[in-house]
Amino acid sequence: MDTMEEIRATFFQECEELLAELEAKLLLLEAGADDGETINAVFRAVHSVKGGAGAFGLDALVRFAHVLETLLDELRAGRKPCDEPTVRTLLRAADVLADHVAAARGDGPEVDEGRSAALVAELETLTHGEGGAPADLAEAEEDDFGFQPVALEIPSLEDAPAAAGGAWRIVLRPHGRMYANANETALLLRELGRLGPISVELDDSGLPPLDALDPAENHLTWIIRLEAPVAEAAVREVFDFVEGDCDLSVEPADGPAAPLPPPPPTDDLDIAALLAAAQAGPEPAPEPAPAPAPAAPATDAAATQAALTATPPAAAAPATIRVDLERVDRLINVVGELVIQQAMLAQRVTESGLARSSGISVGLEDLELLTREIQDSVMAIRAQPVKSVFQRMPRLVREVAEQTGKRVRLVTDGEATEVDKTVVERLAEPITHMLRNAIDHGLETPEARIAAGKSPEGVVRLAALHRSGRIVIEISDDGCGINRERVRGIAVAKGLIAEDAALTEDEIDNLIFLPGFSTAETVSDISGRGVGMDVVRRSIQSLGGRISISSTPGRGSTFTLSLPLTLAVLDGMVVGAAEQTLVAPLSTIVESLTPKAGDLHYVGGRDAVIRFREAFVPVVDVAQTMGFRDTPVPAGQGVAVVVETESGARAALMVDAIHGQRQVVIKSLESNFRQVEGVAAATILGDGRVALILDVDALVANARRRPAPAELKLAS
Amino acid sequence: MTEALTNAAARELIAFRIGEQEFCVDIMSVREIRGWTPATPLPRTPSYLKGVINLRGAVLPIVDLGARFGLRTAEPTARHVIMVAHIAGRLVGLLVDAVSDIIQLDEGAVQPTPDVASEEVRAFVKGIFAVDGRLISLIDPSLILPAMEAEAA
Repeated sequence: MDTMEEIRATFFQECEELLAELEAKLLLLEAGADDGETINAVFRAVHSVKGGAGAFGLDALVRFAHVLETLLDELRAGRKPCDEPTVRTLLRAADVLADHVAAARGDGPEVDEGRSAALVAELETLTHGEGGAPADLAEAEEDDFGFQPVALEIPSLEDAPAAAGGAWRIVLRPHGRMYANANETALLLRELGRLGPISVELDDSGLPPLDALDPAENHLTWIIRLEAPVAEAAVREVFDFVEGDCDLSVEPADGPAAPLPPPPPTDDLDIAALLAAAQAGPEPAPEPAPAPAPAAPATDAAATQAALTATPPAAAAPATIRVDLERVDRLINVVGELVIQQAMLAQRVTESGLARSSGISVGLEDLELLTREIQDSVMAIRAQPVKSVFQRMPRLVREVAEQTGKRVRLVTDGEATEVDKTVVERLAEPITHMLRNAIDHGLETPEARIAAGKSPEGVVRLAALHRSGRIVIEISDDGCGINRERVRGIAVAKGLIAEDAALTEDEIDNLIFLPGFSTAETVSDISGRGVGMDVVRRSIQSLGGRISISSTPGRGSTFTLSLPLTLAVLDGMVVGAAEQTLVAPLSTIVESLTPKAGDLHYVGGRDAVIRFREAFVPVVDVAQTMGFRDTPVPAGQGVAVVVETESGARAALMVDAIHGQRQVVIKSLESNFRQVEGVAAATILGDGRVALILDVDALVANARRRPAPAELKLAS
Repeated sequence: MTEALTNAAARELIAFRIGEQEFCVDIMSVREIRGWTPATPLPRTPSYLKGVINLRGAVLPIVDLGARFGLRTAEPTARHVIMVAHIAGRLVGLLVDAVSDIIQLDEGAVQPTPDVASEEVRAFVKGIFAVDGRLISLIDPSLILPAMEAEAA
């Protein structure tokens, strides 16, 4: 049962890859690629999905895939034109196919039957021409499935009804390729046995002498007698997934002797010829089942070789392995420790006062280079191109464009940009949301665009790039830009800002990130889902990222996300407070300043505020709040680090000194202890000591409901 | 994990000193013994928790056993010892004065903790026994942790 689940999981994993491939190729077609290989690739992807789905009995998926496949087959053969409307339909069909896969996997919503049926009708119209589509698709499908592909192959048997005497004679000679495709004769026989009693005869007369035996080829023929009054189609359905990989004849028993199976080779000389026949093509061209036994006496090894190389080149599969993520993470952890150990060793050597030219120092430098290289390589294992997220966006854009009646072209750039897997996974949601916003709020209707002298088709650009050790995602549109008057008006109306607040353009733009802000005049189905830009910002911040916006009225807006490449390391500001070394996440820091004694103002007894950019922000004394010291940093000493919490509130963290900025490896406190308030995680510094990473939000919140000083000391 | 007291077979214990008193734990729960290194204090934690140290890349919390037992403790020095113990799936460093002995214990020799001991001591001591005229208390390290977990918010 477990094995089955595993295979199933693998199937869905492959489905994902196939669907991605399908969409990519369709987009190529849409862009005008008109070579046979592209449409072939599309066909193969759908065919593989259908094949796998059939094996798991996912009927709805199989039925839909089959209709799609039939049309693709027509296109492939050039019987139908592959024009623009067709490709659009195919794209939408690919979306529905993806829905079917998700539903079959059990993690997607139920497939919209109406939509699916409408597309099936559309596909059939395209396949059969106007009016040719059967009205009742479900029924038509039932009849069609499993029968039609065979009909193509063996026209002579097409109208043969059930066997006269209620028995079938089936001759099966698999090609070696059938086994290579992981099919198994015994399973086929068992499947046949479900139709009725069978008797099987094995013809091994084709076996060559041992020295000429090609272990990868099959030389056996099975002759099966099936006693069951079933339709021929039912019999052939059993062999549905091996068609083309075997010679097969199905005929009423007691009928004329099989003219069919190419006479099994009587000596070893025919192997090459057989191979040539077996390799004739990846998809069987319509040919009568009795493959004529090739007479060519190609006997020498060279001919065999030629036959083998004649195989159409399969798309070179990239050499990849699937590895359990846990194993990779373990490796990353160990390498992290190696890096720390190496840094400690280097520090010790420096402290010991050895000359820089000494053998140890030189060796240590080499070790450092190696360690860095190992760390980079290990991190690269977890790195994934953002392509997997970007790939999902064309569909979204199509759907939103359809719903809003806008014409949109999505341009993507930098799909190959790599970033840690966890980051990739968590990028999808914010990008989705911002693309929706860009189309729904950013772009104008085609009419409005024409009136503004723009092309009726709006352009949304999604780009990824690496910049100074971070990944930057840009989402820009060429729409109307942010309507600052309206944003300001809404912010005032919602009480987010004072009516007479003097805000710069930049500040107005940033108002849209405030919680509870939504600019849509009519809350639409698309972006008005109760989540605003504040949610996007929060999810970006939880990844240690930042988001910013720039907008030009009439020209469009650009949202820029900047994220760390990995969640295993963090850019931090190393600060000192009461003998302790602490790390503040750089993403939270706005600015640092050295206040003079007069800059601190007291509100009430002990709550200090500091003037920062025309506003007063509360002062949080880190050492005091963390309980390291009873008294705050004396006025006129120390450094104030102005931070911004996730809710957008600002505070000044008072510390003794700033030691510098560096990248630190994040270590969990929970694994051996538990969460500690005010501490996000821990890290290990070059001297081997543990330093705590501040949880800025909790720290600021803590300071607000600060207990009386006496309770501040470490609890007993 | 340190159960099976009823098993009559002898087992090995590691004995350590805190002040003038001697305690011991099952040797199987101790992973390694190392010298004291300064710990990074954690905010808002009980005073017996000395903080965390770096154990080959892992963050290891240090429990001052003496403070945990309610004994008088001094600031740790380089002569103090950390026993790295595996307790309930976690690694915890136990700060003690010194490791004194490895003892083969016959379970039959263990006597119940007498009533004279203080509440704190009785909470962790499973029993006492004598070796060469010394009195040694048998500690159940798994009892040190529940208090830590109970405080987890």
